[in-house]
Amino acid sequence: MLTYIAKRILLFIPTLVAITLLGFILISSAPGDPLDVVVPTSENTPEMKDNPSIREKRIRLRKELGLDLPLFYVSIKSLASPDSIGGVEEKAHQYTIRRLSDETGNPALIWKYYRLIGTFRTSLNAIEPDSQYTETMLNQLVDAKSFAYILPNLYNRNDIAFQLSALRDKTKGLPEQQSIHNSLNTLETTLGEAYTNANKWRSYIPVIRFHGLNQYHRWLFGDGNMFTGKGARYSKGIIRGDFGKSYTTKFPVAKGLAGKLGWSIILTLISVLMGYLVSIPLGVIAAQKKDRLFDRLSSVALYVLYSLPNFFVATLLLMLFSNPDQWNWFPSSGVKPLQGYPSGANLLERISISLPFLVMPIIAYTYSTFAFLSRTMRVAMLEVLSQDYIRTARAKGLKESVVIWKHALKNSLLPIITIFANVFPAAVGGSVILEAIFTIPGMGLETVQAVFSKNYPVIIAIFTLTGMLTIVGYLISDILYAVVDPRISFKSKKS
Amino acid sequence: MKEEKAFSYRRYVWRRFKKNKPALVSLYILIFLSLVAILAPVIANEYPLYIRYKGHHLFPAFSNKSNYIIKDHETGEEEKIQLDLTDWKQLDAGLVVWPLITYSPGKSDRLNGIYTSPAANNSYVNSQGDTVVTKAKFRHWLGTGKFADDVASGLIHGTRISLTIGIASMLIASLIGLFLGSVAGYYGDDGIKMKLGQWIGIFPGLLLGYFYAFQVREYTLRDAINESSWLFMAHFIFSLFLFMAILAACWGTGTLLSKLSLFSRSYRVPADGIISRLIEILTALPKIILIITIAAIATRSMLNVILIIGFTYWTGIARLVRAETLRVKHLDYVQAARAGGLSPMRIISRHALPNTIGPAFISIAFGVASAILAESSLSFLNIGVPDDIVTWGKLLSAGKENYKAWWLVVFPGLAIFITVTAYNLIGEGLRDALDPKLKQDGN
Repeated sequence: MLTYIAKRILLFIPTLVAITLLGFILISSAPGDPLDVVVPTSENTPEMKDNPSIREKRIRLRKELGLDLPLFYVSIKSLASPDSIGGVEEKAHQYTIRRLSDETGNPALIWKYYRLIGTFRTSLNAIEPDSQYTETMLNQLVDAKSFAYILPNLYNRNDIAFQLSALRDKTKGLPEQQSIHNSLNTLETTLGEAYTNANKWRSYIPVIRFHGLNQYHRWLFGDGNMFTGKGARYSKGIIRGDFGKSYTTKFPVAKGLAGKLGWSIILTLISVLMGYLVSIPLGVIAAQKKDRLFDRLSSVALYVLYSLPNFFVATLLLMLFSNPDQWNWFPSSGVKPLQGYPSGANLLERISISLPFLVMPIIAYTYSTFAFLSRTMRVAMLEVLSQDYIRTARAKGLKESVVIWKHALKNSLLPIITIFANVFPAAVGGSVILEAIFTIPGMGLETVQAVFSKNYPVIIAIFTLTGMLTIVGYLISDILYAVVDPRISFKSKKS
Repeated sequence: MKEEKAFSYRRYVWRRFKKNKPALVSLYILIFLSLVAILAPVIANEYPLYIRYKGHHLFPAFSNKSNYIIKDHETGEEEKIQLDLTDWKQLDAGLVVWPLITYSPGKSDRLNGIYTSPAANNSYVNSQGDTVVTKAKFRHWLGTGKFADDVASGLIHGTRISLTIGIASMLIASLIGLFLGSVAGYYGDDGIKMKLGQWIGIFPGLLLGYFYAFQVREYTLRDAINESSWLFMAHFIFSLFLFMAILAACWGTGTLLSKLSLFSRSYRVPADGIISRLIEILTALPKIILIITIAAIATRSMLNVILIIGFTYWTGIARLVRAETLRVKHLDYVQAARAGGLSPMRIISRHALPNTIGPAFISIAFGVASAILAESSLSFLNIGVPDDIVTWGKLLSAGKENYKAWWLVVFPGLAIFITVTAYNLIGEGLRDALDPKLKQDGN
């Protein structure tokens, strides 16, 4: 038996690693630039992004957050791919550099082209319009700056040529025209060189690169010492339970999630307990009165309940009971009043304040479990009731209620117990839809918000946590199975 | 003596299924819903099906032109009628045949306003400028929604979306699940062996295949995504074939290599182990979180939703098929087929599979119900299908925002409920019909 448990635990680890990898892959393939989420929105406009100090800040932030690192320990690239483009200020620029390098096969020249664009934009921004500048010239300058801003996003050769000539036109007549046009010429010749000496064959030769520090490693072990975690400035790595800081709130992810986890678990636990409280007697009575009116009615009613979509029921509940025009019995959202708990409220007071908020969510969470649980109970009960030892107990003259509740119930609880262990993963995931509808600050709502605001550390943390806890739940249920029914571990020992 | 028909498993199952009244009724309901889905443009459309205007026979509902040029027979002057700008309801014409619901889904009816109740009187302003009560033919029978769109029309066209997504995603899930499940069950961990040379050939094959099929073609694929989903699918499928071709070529080289005695030793391929681990990993993540995360990241399109749901639901089917194949593998008829020397693929597809897919059908029926629920949840949260397509979930979310609009909650909710229940009952009916031993005691 112990070997069975040990084997299961050992298999747990690679699955966990695989889940974290899956989460990491999902996040890295997400469109958009994580940096756009971290910097304040005021700095995200094209005008601000053109500002040289903002550009420097972005490059610096990328380095600090480790976004300039390669993704993984190995990567497959072609001979024509440039290295270390991660530090570039914009993700779109990375794409341009990569694409142009692959098309021309001259990564070095494309790098040069990109850096020339950078200096060109800086010099353009450095122009101080003096008294010589007329109104039209000022407008020209503004237009030229925005054209130059778009230039590094273009990867189509025709588009680039068009943009360069547009730039040339816009800067005609400006006092700095000569130097500007010189820079533009250099840009054009560099790019042209890359195309004329095209080594496109390079992009067809695969190359495997090994990297030391990379984003996955940094995420696992943090940016300090790999083994001790000392000296970490941003995160100690998830191996030490540090999931980094949330992009939106800037607070540590792990602590924030723990609070949300609390509400999800509370609601799920209450609904499970209530579910059991109602379903077990229901199932037992239905088994006793098999095929009679009670059994058939309850069967149909439960089936109907089970098929109603939970967001439908939740919306109906809100419509009926939180509606100022109908019966306004319960508040419609959240878990506590807007002002929060009054200071110094102890646990009992907090519970009584929150209770009205929780009534409808609990109903919505619970109703669908009635059908499944009571059915399972009924089936298990029927099977047990047909056993010989029950007949013996009845023949002995025991009262029917003793027979049912004392003898039969214990043995039919087996499937129920194992279901309980599987409830844990559901608690962790929270019910996304219901939490979104009732605005409950639980894991589900957190996931939805994180996904919509592209808050990657939180998303990965939720993935990893739910995966981990789900596997723990399955592990526990497997162990419970083996404990309660020794045949299971025996069978696997034999094989 | 009456000639008895030969016993057919299918007919046997069908007879048992028919006895289950709820399941039979659900089947009829589903046939009805499918008809509604197929005929949706004919049932609910803002254009008339047939109109006789100035002597011409026009079929605006079926036309894909953007305007008609009508030549008046009497005066000879030409009139240009633009389909989407003409108020067909007020056109002075001869015989007009309207569909049942005279609105298209999602189109705003500016005259009648947002959130009109089914009980309210619809009115419009006619050509003389008077406010007139609308005829019964043109009423919003189930009210209007958030954008003054007709709810009845939305429900009818929403049937299309829900059924399509439910069935298509389960089709994908079944294909993947059946294939992987039967491979895992049949071959187990010992069934497939590869020579060392072939092993050596596979790994470079994987790398090179990935490189040439996806890395080199990255830009073509990315440009295709931005153009159209179908172009992208075409390119992606081509990349898949390229990948397999390169893999096959490397494997072939490996086979040649294994002719040398140094590389000829055989090793097992743990097919079951790999597939089972994969299933475990995918089931460790709560489905809804996985679906929402991917749906929020990917571009919004119906195809993406179908793919996402299909790729998350295959594990249930694979598990079942695997268990069934394991059970069936040791039965006599399969052993006989193997002794007869049939190729494994043939054994699986023609002998084992027909008997293992029974339980899979049950899972598929329940799966369609879950898929429809998943899609409704996604559009309730406003991700998944693009904004301009009306689905049941979207109508429900509009109802949540305005509690007075009970019709936006009740009708879409009922639609979802009926469809999901129908599929669930069919699944249960199948379960009872396919294997009486599976029947729960006294149920």
